[in-house]
Amino acid sequence: MNKKIGVYICHCGGNISDYVDVEKVRKSIENDEGVFLVKTTMFACGDANQKEMVDDIRRNELDGVVVASCSPKLHLITFRAVTERAGLNKYNYVHANIREQVSWAHSDDKAGATEKAIHIVKSALAKVRLAESLEPFKIPAKKAVAIIGGGVAGMRAAIELSNMGCPVTLIEREHFIGGRIAQWDVLFTTDQTGKELVTILYNDLISRDNITLFTGAEVISNTGCIGDFKLKIKVTPRFIKENCHKGNLQKAILACPVEVNDEFNFDMTKRKAIYHNFPSEYPHLPAIDPKNCTRCGECEKICESVDLSQKEELIEVQVGSVLMATGFDPYIPAEGEFGFHEFDNLVTLPQFKRMIELNDSKLIFGGKEIRNIAYIYCVGSRQTDGENKYCSRYCCTSAIHAAILTRKKFSNIQNFHFTRGIRTYGKQEVLYAESLKGGDIFLQNYEDDPPVVNQQNKMTVITVNDILTGKREMSVNADLVVLVTGMVPRADNSVGSLFKLPKGRDHFFNEIHMKLRPVETVIDGITICGACQGPKNIMESVNSALSAATKSFSYISKGELEIEPIIAQIDNDQCTWCRVCAEACPFDAIHKEINGTKDIAVINNSVCKGCGMCLPVCPSDAINLIAYSNREIESMIDALAGD
Amino acid sequence: MAAINPEFRTELKKYGAFDFNACYNCGNCTAVCSLSTTEDSFPREILRFSTLGLQDDIKSSLKPWLCYYCGECSTHCPQEANPGELMMSLRRWLSAQYDWTKLSGLLYRSLPITIIALLITAIGVLAFGAFENFQLEPIMKFAHQFEMIAIASVFVLILLPNVIRMWWFILKKPGVKVPLSKYFVEIREMVDHMFTQKRALECDKNRFRWFEHFILVIGYLGLLFVTVFLDWFASKNIFIISFGYLLSTIVFVVTFDFVSSRMKKQKEISKFSQPADWLFVIWLFLMGFSAFIVRLFIDTGLLDKNIWLYFFHLIILVQWALIIVPFGKWTHFLYRSFAMYFAKIKA
Ligand SMILES: Cc1cc2nc3c(=O)[nH]c(=O)nc-3n(C[C@H](O)[C@H](O)[C@H](O)COP(=O)(O)OP(=O)(O)OC[C@H]3O[C@@H](n4cnc5c(N)ncnc54)[C@H](O)[C@@H]3O)c2cc1C
Ligand code: SF4
Ligand code: SF4
Repeated sequence: MNKKIGVYICHCGGNISDYVDVEKVRKSIENDEGVFLVKTTMFACGDANQKEMVDDIRRNELDGVVVASCSPKLHLITFRAVTERAGLNKYNYVHANIREQVSWAHSDDKAGATEKAIHIVKSALAKVRLAESLEPFKIPAKKAVAIIGGGVAGMRAAIELSNMGCPVTLIEREHFIGGRIAQWDVLFTTDQTGKELVTILYNDLISRDNITLFTGAEVISNTGCIGDFKLKIKVTPRFIKENCHKGNLQKAILACPVEVNDEFNFDMTKRKAIYHNFPSEYPHLPAIDPKNCTRCGECEKICESVDLSQKEELIEVQVGSVLMATGFDPYIPAEGEFGFHEFDNLVTLPQFKRMIELNDSKLIFGGKEIRNIAYIYCVGSRQTDGENKYCSRYCCTSAIHAAILTRKKFSNIQNFHFTRGIRTYGKQEVLYAESLKGGDIFLQNYEDDPPVVNQQNKMTVITVNDILTGKREMSVNADLVVLVTGMVPRADNSVGSLFKLPKGRDHFFNEIHMKLRPVETVIDGITICGACQGPKNIMESVNSALSAATKSFSYISKGELEIEPIIAQIDNDQCTWCRVCAEACPFDAIHKEINGTKDIAVINNSVCKGCGMCLPVCPSDAINLIAYSNREIESMIDALAGD
Repeated sequence: MAAINPEFRTELKKYGAFDFNACYNCGNCTAVCSLSTTEDSFPREILRFSTLGLQDDIKSSLKPWLCYYCGECSTHCPQEANPGELMMSLRRWLSAQYDWTKLSGLLYRSLPITIIALLITAIGVLAFGAFENFQLEPIMKFAHQFEMIAIASVFVLILLPNVIRMWWFILKKPGVKVPLSKYFVEIREMVDHMFTQKRALECDKNRFRWFEHFILVIGYLGLLFVTVFLDWFASKNIFIISFGYLLSTIVFVVTFDFVSSRMKKQKEISKFSQPADWLFVIWLFLMGFSAFIVRLFIDTGLLDKNIWLYFFHLIILVQWALIIVPFGKWTHFLYRSFAMYFAKIKA
């Protein structure tokens, strides 16, 4: 069937027509096969031209349209919409880029540019002649979301999804919920405590019927894809059924003979094998840590609710989308980094935050009262030689906030900050001003000339070439050195590999586009938020959590998903299942199935992105990419190469 | 290597400095300062020294004296760290360091001690009056002699040694080597500055203040000359008498303007006043004004009946000569001129 094709050639207000003779382009194609009308226009994307196109298509019953203008990134969708408005299936529209690829690239050669434009338009014509109407695929979507990680980001996202009427499975690896913020006590910039925030979120969470919370739980496998993820969750027992009788819990903890480092306090204190992080930790039930518990039964004798016979459980859930909120780990300095582990009075900022909470009227460390505190900034961040090139964002503000808190809570404190330039961006700047006015002293060094920590005669001396004092060498005697450590990805982030989530150069989970698609990942149906994506403070974590919740819900809210029909197809007769296509596919969209008597490759339509990587590797030419068939591509090449 | 000494800030606060901690080293103050130069850049650097407690660097620095408190820095400081006021406080602190008797520091730091000192001198004058049975003639005669003795001894015992100490801190101790001849060549510079304060002219928008300051110096030095060497109060010469009237009028009119501007607090320089600043302008005003009235009462024959007026004038005069000149803000005028001299020698 011969198509009736309409072609529009855009001046782009001179951007194109200053270098390309658009009239010549028009003339050279007006008699080509199938071309029913050709027009030049000052602005193809302008309202008037769009209306004219709709009229042309309707009146002349065109069945193919080409616009030769700017990059398809800018206006492919615009002109597809124009054809749809005119009642023509949008896959009958083909875009020709004669601005970025022609006029801008060849502004020094007008004749050559015009020639190239003619070829590009002819090749678009070749494609549109063979174009077919297509309908998007529809697949059912399970209206439920799994959230991995119950920190502030995960909890807030859960509540938001619940508000939208979406059932949520919230999966937290620890026995207690809240993530890192439960550890920080008083927070910048609101001076609320982390516990207060966790309390608000937890009470809201458990009051909802459509949120199922698993603690001590981890996803161990995933099959399926957007619309239908099938997750297997391993739930480790807490060995406690309900709360002990009043007071018995404390006795049971006392009775437990096993003592281990308390990770909640970054190993600065000890806890028992039966424990809670702090008395009102959520859920209020304590837990027994199976790794260290010797099953001696001492606690069981005191508290009737202890049940050491509880077993690990495996649970399967099916969800339409997965939201990742697994958070971060604090950076652990290398041995000897600024004297870490060499000198006894060095702590990291997370440890120091715990110290502020755990000490009462006096700040004591190693049996000594602390007065002079030196903070060394950017430890593990902004590394010139190391891997962590990024700024951890939270730490300048947190260190300054901690310094102010310390000055207010304990007496005779003098803070010395060794910085690389303060980044208390946005509203956090007021803390910097407060700290300066309160008498904290700030020194600054270049990245290649860091401060040096030394110990002589039991004195810890920090020296730095202070660039604010003409690089003069300045020294401070400190009772305590706080290494202001940054954020790094979770040491165990293997859950990401279950979903093939890509990571950035910084090893945090990566979004598609930092600005335009900041919570989506290239794996359809999986969103990311909070500090698992990169350093964030609470406000930023929650912002991204709300946006990820909305995005996850938008995939599945209709109960079905529409998928671009431009995907690969297997010719069952030709296919011999040599598996090279499956290996070439970056999205794992191809698997083997039995077809009658032989094995063949099968494409999962909801996973295939139509990237075409499988096509050239197939030795039996059994794969076809819809809308980019061999015939279409070859005819385009012919048009480009013709004279 | 220099050790940071945060305590120094507590010390400086006693000399009137405040909020300079808030400085975040943006350098705006130095950029807007019309007196700061590439070689001698301030005030940011001095703020930094003060925050870190680098006392030796401040002691050997002339920069606090190169500042004339135009106040541009304080106006433009985004942190409201009041760099201008810190420079002023450092001038007080420095004068206390130069003073071998340590009395300056005591008076700057403590208002009660200043008041006690003023009271003691007042009582001394009254006691002396009682001793002389409040006879105007011998008292006036003695007072005239006292003026000469006081000027000579304050100069020899206090001011000269202190200027030598200043020289020690600035040139000798840091080991600055200069040929002796330079000391002679540059004397002109000092005299020039002492009388004209011409550097203040470089302060933007401040021509009127400079002019006021200039005629005040002329008026003050002139009045000193007329009373001490021409014995104004005893003189019969019509020229001397009217000259004295003119000079004392200049002194009290200009100082009256200074006092009222300190009260209005519109200009940066007059926003924050320490007791020493009030003392200086008020006593100078009282001195000019009481001298004027005393001479007026002499000319109208009223003084004999109003002997209290003369005592009032005498008390102000003695307090001025024994407290404010050697240990108060008057010395700034002296140190500033020497600072310009030393700066020229150093350059
Ligand atoms: C010392 C310090 C002080 C800070 N102070 C402040 C402050 O005052 N104000 C402020 O705004 N911000 C502060 N922050 C930043 C704040 O901690 C983070 O913004 C916030 O914790 C990020 O929340 P999140 O939920 O993304 O991650 P997290 O808090 O790390 O929570 C992630 C959760 O996911 C769980 N998890 C991880 N992996 C898995 C898995 N595979 N399966 C199931 N669950 C998993 C974890 O157990 C954890 O509960 C501070 C940070 C530090 C280091
Ligand atoms: S926030 Fe501050 S301390 Fe943290 S990495 Fe960035 S600049 Fe360094
Ligand atoms: S303008 Fe203010 S904040 Fe900036 S350097 Fe000067 S005193 Fe410091």
